Amino acid sequence: MQFYDVLASLIHDMKNSLSMVVHTLEQLTDDPSFQYDKPEKVTALQNEAKRLNNNLIELLTLYKIENERISPTIEDVDVANFLEEVVAENHASAEANHIDLIYECDPDLYGYFDEGLVRGVMNNLVGNGLRYTHNKLRISAAEEDGFLVFRVEDNGAGFPKGMLATQSSLDLHRDIAEGRTQLGLYFATLIAEMHKNREQTGFIKLENGYKLPGGCFSVWLP
Amino acid sequence: MANKIEQLSFLIVDDYGDMRGVLRNMLQSFGVTQIDSVANGREAIALIESKRYDVILCDYNLGDGRDGQQILEEIRARKLIGVSSIFVMITAENTRLMVMGAVEYEPDSYLTKPFTKDLLAQRLERLLNRKADLLEIENAIDHKEYDVANALLDKRIEENPRNVNEFIKLKADLCIKAGAYDQAEAIYSDVLVQREIAWARLGIGKAYFGNRRYDEAKMVFQGLLDGNERFMAAYDWLAKTELALDEPVRAQKVLETATAHSAKAIVRQRALGELALANHDEKVAEHAFSQAIHLGKYSIYKHPSIYANLAKAKATNVNGEMGLKVLRDLKKTFKGNKEADLYSSMTEAVLQEDMGNGERARSCMCNAHELYKELGTKAAPELALDMARSCSKMGEVERAQELLQQAVKNNHSDEAFLKQVGATLSDLGLSDDPNALIADIKKGIVRLNNRGVELAKVGKLDEAMLLFEEAVEGMPGNKVVNLNAARIFMLQMKKSGIVPKRIDQVREYLNRVRQMDSENRTLHKMERMLKQLLDGAKS
Repeated sequence: MQFYDVLASLIHDMKNSLSMVVHTLEQLTDDPSFQYDKPEKVTALQNEAKRLNNNLIELLTLYKIENERISPTIEDVDVANFLEEVVAENHASAEANHIDLIYECDPDLYGYFDEGLVRGVMNNLVGNGLRYTHNKLRISAAEEDGFLVFRVEDNGAGFPKGMLATQSSLDLHRDIAEGRTQLGLYFATLIAEMHKNREQTGFIKLENGYKLPGGCFSVWLP
Repeated sequence: MANKIEQLSFLIVDDYGDMRGVLRNMLQSFGVTQIDSVANGREAIALIESKRYDVILCDYNLGDGRDGQQILEEIRARKLIGVSSIFVMITAENTRLMVMGAVEYEPDSYLTKPFTKDLLAQRLERLLNRKADLLEIENAIDHKEYDVANALLDKRIEENPRNVNEFIKLKADLCIKAGAYDQAEAIYSDVLVQREIAWARLGIGKAYFGNRRYDEAKMVFQGLLDGNERFMAAYDWLAKTELALDEPVRAQKVLETATAHSAKAIVRQRALGELALANHDEKVAEHAFSQAIHLGKYSIYKHPSIYANLAKAKATNVNGEMGLKVLRDLKKTFKGNKEADLYSSMTEAVLQEDMGNGERARSCMCNAHELYKELGTKAAPELALDMARSCSKMGEVERAQELLQQAVKNNHSDEAFLKQVGATLSDLGLSDDPNALIADIKKGIVRLNNRGVELAKVGKLDEAMLLFEEAVEGMPGNKVVNLNAARIFMLQMKKSGIVPKRIDQVREYLNRVRQMDSENRTLHKMERMLKQLLDGAKS
């Protein structure tokens, strides 16, 4: 509890700083009088600031999951609206990176999940997608086989073969300890698995060439 | 409200100057021109008192002074902003439950820092649409026209829009408020058949509690906590349920666990302190009351009884001097407040008596008696309990007994409060069988009420009126008796014509109930009846 308070207050402070960095960059790029001959450097700064922020959220959430044993608060969520917000949050950085970010979702789709936790996952996936894609990123949501499925797919090189097998958070935890996998993958898996309904548990899936030729990361929530 | 963002007026509250600038820039880029910004709660409230804002963007963490939640509580409770205004809480963390716990007032939305301009625009647009969609219903609820709200909700649920659950949730909330627990239970069950959702599960627990099915309620709240140990509202309800099951020690343990998770809720700290004090666990009580005072410095939940109770706990744990010091703080904090003076006097009487200063104690008690009389029906029911304790300590046993009996008479239908009266009676050794004593008094009042209503039914309105006039005199603080008296008086005047003196009496009865319970539904019915009666007399 005490360490958590310190952590939370530090993160609050760091987020204020990050907000300033992100917003100031946003203002600079919006300002037509701002002339800088290396715009890609500003974009790189923006990308890194975003990544830092996503990592901070990841860190705090993981800490809470392990030490405070938090559980998801399941609420009814307007999924189309949720995706619109994810796009709105990442639209500017996609544009700066010359990446076409689109979403697809039935406007009447309602889902049941912890909006805050899943938002963290989606922002992470989109952030990664922006790094690995060629020039397109498509996020979508649909109901399939009794699950709500979120997909983030790109037209980059796709996932390496070794990553494609479905893995549980237990496997991943071991892999992380051995330095073989990304924390982001573990984070997404953990949060998917926290979502349970009746006999079913959430999971994630990695595949290549779903609708776009590159990688497709899907989060399945019961 | 105009649905265009650029036509709205905004207030930004953030202690961080650069952040205020960023927010202002974002709004300006949407074309907004009416923007004020302030750094703290004091300035925010001063501005909101003098000017109407459509949207308030408020950071949760504001350094010293009020936090965002306390600002929201104050402006909503004091009705400084209407239901059409939008309040957005900006937080550093994305877990909603962390910030809120169980709170009476929730913001319209939470935004997690940092967010892009696009996200803010998107969110504002959604909130405006949602407000427009709900405005009619929220207005009806705000004006306490629950029948109207219910009809509107039924119509919307019938249309089955995509956000139908939002309306279902509101309807179930209204059922709980109205005491229609069976109906609420049916609605929540319907939702839960489709899907396990936290608000519906909590709701069904509340419905069980309302129907006095405490064992089932306990299982529900316990189950919610097994699933999520940070579900703060479930702790508060579980504690209430344990208390209803006559398990005050367990109730205290529940709130201790809750405050260990989230120490920030003043109301919960106060409840824990009161439980601990009743359980004679002064150590826990002292800590809880200290926390409540510390947190409540800038809150509308600040209350003199918290200081008085801290004084008692400190007197037991440390010494009388420390208790008296707290009472001096109490007087300083609530200057010119009669209720606070009363709390201070009656508590000081006890402390001085314990310190061996009999004369000083007696003079304090005299003072307390006078203040209590002055407050009359304005005195909160709990005051009677504390007064009785002080009287008993000073050896005024008869007066203590009288106070407690009067407390029963004035609140004969409030089960939770009657439990407290019973506990006080036995704690002070004033009754061998407090339950029987309370049941006796209750029976008498119910019989009296029934007789009056019966008389009115058979048309003997004059007789009924006399009966209630007398009853109200004996129990001026009893809501049901006051309401019944008002009703019978009005029925009689409807038949035999208006008498100004009796209209004044009706007004007085309704006023008393309003002071005790402004949310009371029968009160609203009676107020409408009075208006109709007077309107009818004019035409």
